[in-house]
Amino acid sequence: MRSLKPLNFYYWSYKRLFVPGLLCAVASSVFAIIVPMIVRQAIDSIPRFVSTYRAFQGTPLESYLYTDFFISLSVFGLIIIGLSIGSGIFSFLMRQTVVVASRHIEYDLRNRLYDQLQSLSHDFYLEHATGDLITRATSDIEQVRRYIGPAIMYTTRAVVTIVTAVTVMFIISPELTLYTLIPMPLLAVAVFLVAKMVHVRSDELQKQYSVLTSKVHEALSGIRVLKAYAREEREAEAFDVESSHYRKRSLSLAMIEAAWRPVFVTLVGSSTLIVVWVGGTLAMAGEITLGNIAEYIIYVALMTFPVAAMGFVITMVQRAAASMARLNEIFDAKPSIPSSNGAERTPIKGGISFNNVSFRHPHSGVLALDNVSFDIPPGSTVAIVGRTGSGKTTLVEMIPRLLDAQEGAVLIDGKNIKSVAVDHIRSAIGYVPQDVFLFSDTVANNISFGEMDAGVDEIERAAAEADLLENVREFKEGFETFVGERGITLSGGQKQRTSISRALIRNPKILIMDDALSAVDVNTERTILSHLRKHFGKRTIVIVSHRVSAVQDADQIIVLDDGRIIERGNHASLLENKGFYASLYHKQQLEQELEALE
Amino acid sequence: MSKKEEKKGIDRRLLLRIISYLGPYKGWVSLAFVTVMMAAFLGPLVPKLVQITIDRDIVSGDADGLRRMISILFMILVAEGLLSFVNAYMTQWIGQQAIYDLRTAVYRHIQRQSLRFFDGTPIGRLITRTTSDVESLSQVLSAGLVTIMGDLFKIIFISWFMFSLNPGLAFVTLSVMPLMLYATFWFKRKVREAYRDTRKQVARLNSFLQEHITGMRIVQLFGREEEEMSRFDRINDDHRQAHIHTIFYYALFFPIVDIVATTALGLVIWFGGLTAMSGTLTLGVLIAFIQYARRFFEPIRNLSDQFNTLQSAMAGAERIFDLLDTDESIQEIDEPLEWEEVEGRIEFRNVWFSYDPEMDKDDDEADWILKDVSFTVNPGQSLAIVGATGAGKTTIISLLLRFYDIQRGTILVDGFDIRMVRLTDLREHIGLVLQDVFLFSGSIRDNITLRNTALKLESVVKAARAIGASGFIERLPDTYDHEVKERGMSLSHGQRQLLSFARVLVYDPRILVLDEATSSVDTETEETIQHALETLMKGRTSIAIAHRLSTVQHADQILVMHRGQVRERGNHQELIATDGLYRTLYELQYQDQEVEA
Repeated sequence: MRSLKPLNFYYWSYKRLFVPGLLCAVASSVFAIIVPMIVRQAIDSIPRFVSTYRAFQGTPLESYLYTDFFISLSVFGLIIIGLSIGSGIFSFLMRQTVVVASRHIEYDLRNRLYDQLQSLSHDFYLEHATGDLITRATSDIEQVRRYIGPAIMYTTRAVVTIVTAVTVMFIISPELTLYTLIPMPLLAVAVFLVAKMVHVRSDELQKQYSVLTSKVHEALSGIRVLKAYAREEREAEAFDVESSHYRKRSLSLAMIEAAWRPVFVTLVGSSTLIVVWVGGTLAMAGEITLGNIAEYIIYVALMTFPVAAMGFVITMVQRAAASMARLNEIFDAKPSIPSSNGAERTPIKGGISFNNVSFRHPHSGVLALDNVSFDIPPGSTVAIVGRTGSGKTTLVEMIPRLLDAQEGAVLIDGKNIKSVAVDHIRSAIGYVPQDVFLFSDTVANNISFGEMDAGVDEIERAAAEADLLENVREFKEGFETFVGERGITLSGGQKQRTSISRALIRNPKILIMDDALSAVDVNTERTILSHLRKHFGKRTIVIVSHRVSAVQDADQIIVLDDGRIIERGNHASLLENKGFYASLYHKQQLEQELEALE
Repeated sequence: MSKKEEKKGIDRRLLLRIISYLGPYKGWVSLAFVTVMMAAFLGPLVPKLVQITIDRDIVSGDADGLRRMISILFMILVAEGLLSFVNAYMTQWIGQQAIYDLRTAVYRHIQRQSLRFFDGTPIGRLITRTTSDVESLSQVLSAGLVTIMGDLFKIIFISWFMFSLNPGLAFVTLSVMPLMLYATFWFKRKVREAYRDTRKQVARLNSFLQEHITGMRIVQLFGREEEEMSRFDRINDDHRQAHIHTIFYYALFFPIVDIVATTALGLVIWFGGLTAMSGTLTLGVLIAFIQYARRFFEPIRNLSDQFNTLQSAMAGAERIFDLLDTDESIQEIDEPLEWEEVEGRIEFRNVWFSYDPEMDKDDDEADWILKDVSFTVNPGQSLAIVGATGAGKTTIISLLLRFYDIQRGTILVDGFDIRMVRLTDLREHIGLVLQDVFLFSGSIRDNITLRNTALKLESVVKAARAIGASGFIERLPDTYDHEVKERGMSLSHGQRQLLSFARVLVYDPRILVLDEATSSVDTETEETIQHALETLMKGRTSIAIAHRLSTVQHADQILVMHRGQVRERGNHQELIATDGLYRTLYELQYQDQEVEA
C-alpha cells in the first residue's frame, strides 16, 4: 500500500473537487436513508387512518376526513419523491466532482509519465519492452484512477449509508438489527473473495487470449512454410488446442461468476427473510410495528450495494497499489545521460575525436568497442565499414550521446563531449539511423520533424537532396500524403530517403548515416552522394555502410572488426593493402553489375 | 457513421446465422430456457409469499405458521440460487462451445486461402477476425438469448403477481414504466455515442504512445521533446474530455433510475393508502408492492444491456461472415490424383503468370511477371536459376508449389498437370528452403519436424548430423528441446539456414526447391552450408535460385532469367562458351569465389 503514498499530493491539489464531492456523497446517502423512515410512518399511519375513517363513515365528517387523509398520503408520497430527487441531485454532483477529479489526476499522471519517458535514455528502452511501457501508461494508470475516484466515492457512501442505517435500525430494535445484519459481513467477504478469484481468472484468460493472438500471427506470418510442407492441418489442430485452452479458461471464469449467483441470492434474500421472521415475531409481541418491517426491508435493500462495494474496494486498492508500484519504477528511474543545465554551448564546428574508447554492452556483456581512437577533422568525411556486429552502430551512437563511453573519451571540437550540453550537440547533428522510423503523419511533417519551422522550400530542398522529390510529386497529395497505417505504404527505399531528408533539412554541422543507403539502388545512392558532396568541407560526414560504393570517396575509411580498428586509410591505400576492405570491394562489384543488367 | 450504424439495428438474417452456431447444442439450449424460466418465476414469488406471511401469520399471531413460511421461503431462495447457477454456467458452456466452433472454423478458412489472399490482406486484420470479432459474438451466443427470455419472463411474472394482488395498485406502480424505459434507452444511446468517442481517443492515445516509445530515439536525437510533449498533452486532454463527457451521462442516469424507482414507491404508498381506506388492501400487499417496485427495474436494465451487446455483435458477425463467404483458396478438382511416389520430373510449358488475377489472359503486352517460360528438369537433375532481382526467379518456385495458379500454360510434375494432383500430395513431395528462414516458437526439434509427431527424434538427429547442424544444436541448452524464442532471433542466420536444411532432409522429398541466401555468412558456416547443400541435392531433383558459384557450376542446367523471360540456358561450360549475359555475370560475380570454391 505504501506505493500509493505519492497520490496524496494529487488529492491535495484537487481538494476543491474532492471536498465538495465527498460532502455531496454524504448528503446523497443521508437523503436516501430518510426514505424508509417516511415509508414506516406512512405504513403505520395507514391503519390509524383506516380505522378513524371507518369509525366516522356515514357521518358528515367522512368527506372532511377523506380529504385530510388524502392530503396526508399525498404529502408522504411527495416527501418520498422529494427526498429521492434530493439524493439524486447530490449523487449527480458527487460523480461530477469526484469521478471528474479522478480523470484530471489520471491526465496529470499520464502527462508526468510521458514527460519522464522522454527524459530517459537509450539504455532504459533496452530494458523495457514497448508493450510493457504502453501497458503502464494505459491500464496501470486506469487501475490507479479507479482507486482515486470510484473507490473513494464508494467508500464514503458506504460508510455513511451503513453507519446511519445501522444507527437508526439500532434505535428501533437492537435485537432485530443484530439478526438482520448477520448476512452483511458475509456478503462483503464473499464479494472480496469472488472479486479476487475473478481477477486471477480473467488475467489468465487475458494471457491465453494473447497466446491465441500470437499463435494466429505466427502461423499466418509463416504461411508459406506451412503450405509448402502441407502442415496446415497440424497447425489448425494446434490452434484447436489453444482455442480449447481458451474455452477452458473462459469456463473456469464462468464457473466463479455462476457460483456467485446463489451465494448472492441467498445472502441478500435471507436478510429479508430474517427481517420478516424475527420482525414478525417481535411484531406479534407488539414490540415493533409492521411499518418497521417495511422500513427494515428497504434498509436491507439500501445497504446491499454499499456492503458489496466494500468488497470491491479492497481489491481495487490492492490492484491500484500493484499498478502504482509499477508506475513508480518509471517515475523513479534516473536518466543515465543527464540533461544539460549549465553545460557549455559554444558553436559546434564538427571536429570529432575518439580517444581510446571502449564500450561493453551492459546486458549481453559483449565488448562492442575495444580501445578505439581516431580523429575526424571538421568538414571531412569518414566512412566506417565492417561486418554485422563489428561495433559500427555503437560507435556512431556515441556522437549524439545515445551511449556514453565507459572508458576513454569522445571529444567534440577538442572538448570532452560530457561537458557540452546534450541538446546543444544533438541540434548540430543530422542522424539517419539504421532502422528507419517514420511517424504516421504526412511526408512533409516527417521531413520537417528535423526542423520545425522549415517552410515548403526547405522541405522540397531536403527532399531533392535525398532524391525523394520526384517520388513525392507522383503521390496524389504530394507532401501532404500520409505515411503508415492510415496512409500509403512507402517502399523501403522511399522510407529511407524520407529519413535522410529529415536529417538534411537541419543543415547539420555533423551528418551521421548509419547504413542509411541500404535500401536504395546504386543509381539513387550515387545521386544522393553527389548531393552530399556539395557540402564537402563544410559538413562533417560519418557514413556507416556495407557498400564500398557508398564509402569509396571518403577522406578516411575505418574498418572495424570485433570492436577494433583493423584497417584505416583512403580507398586507394586500402585497396593496395589487400586486406578486408579490398576483398569486400571485389565481392561487391558484381552486385552492381547485376543491377546494371536491368 | 453513427447514423448508419443506428439504422442498421439488428439484421434478422444475420442474427439467425449467428444463432445457427447453437444448432449442435439445441438440447442444452432448451434446458437453459427451462431453468431460466423457473428462476424467473421463483424470484417474484418471494414478495408474494412474504405478503401471505404478513397478512395471515403475523397479523394473526401464528408463530408456527410464520416459521413454516420462512422455511418455505428459504427453500425457494436456495432453489432460485441453484437454478440461476445452473443456468448461468450452462449458457456460458454452450456459448463457449459455439465460439470454439466458430473460431476454429474461421481460422481454418483463413489458412486454406491461397497466397494471393495473403498478399492482399494485412495479417493484423485476419488476427482481428479470429480474435476480437469472434469474441464480440460470445455474449450473444452464451447468455444473450436465454437472458433476454429470462428477463422478459421476469417482467411478465412480476406484472402477473402484481395484478393478481391488486390491479389498481399494479397499474399505478407500472405507470412510471414508460419513463423508466425512456430513460434507460436514452442513456444507452448517449453512452454508446460517447463511448465511440472515448474509444477513438483511447486508440489515439495508444497509437501515439506506441509510436513515440518506439521512436523515442528520434524524438530525442532531433530535440523535439517539447513539441511532442505538447502534442501528447493535447491528445491526453482530448482523452480526458471524452471520459468526462461520459461521466456526465452516468452521473445523470444512476440518480434518474433511482428517482423513478422511488417515485414508484411514493405512488405505492399514496395509492395504496387510499385503496386501504376502501377496505380492499392489506399491509402485507403494500409491503409486497414496495418490493416489486424495486425488482421491476432490474430486468429492464438488463434488457437494454443485452440490446447493446446484440448490436455490437452484429458488426463483428458481419465482418466474420464476409470473410467466410469469400473463398480465394486454391481449388482442387473433384477427384484429384493421389500420389504415393514421384519420380521428380518437372516441366514448365509456356507458363505466363501475373500476380494480378484480373489480368487479361490474351494481352501479351500486359505486365506479366513470367512470360512464356518453358523448361524441363529430369529426375535427379539440378537446375540453377540466375538473374537480377525482379527477374521472376522466386515466382517460379511459388508456382511449382502451386501457391498461385497460372494464367496460361501448364506446369507438369511427372507428366501430370499439377492442377490434377491433390495439393497436399504435391507439396509433400517438394522440399522448400527459403532465403529468410522462418522459425516458429517451439523447440528446435519442433522446428525441424514442424510438429510432425510421426518423425522420431532419431531421424531428426540423423538429419541434423548429415547437415552438420548437430554441432551447434548439441551445444545449446536442452539441445533438441531448446526453445526457439522470438522466431529464432537468438540464432545466427547461418544456424537458421542449417535448421531449414535439416527440415528438408527429415521430410525427405523427391524434389528440392531452394532460394539460396545472398547475405554473407562467416567462412566457417559457409563451408558447413556448402557441404549441407551437396548432401541435400544428392539424388533429388532440384531447382535453386543460385547465388553461389558452386551451385551454378555443378548444376546440370542453368536458366538465365531476365525480366520474366528465359534469356539463356545450358550448362556452365556451354554458357561460358556463348558470349552472353551469363558470361558477363560470371566474370563479375563469381571470379573471386573461385578461391573459396
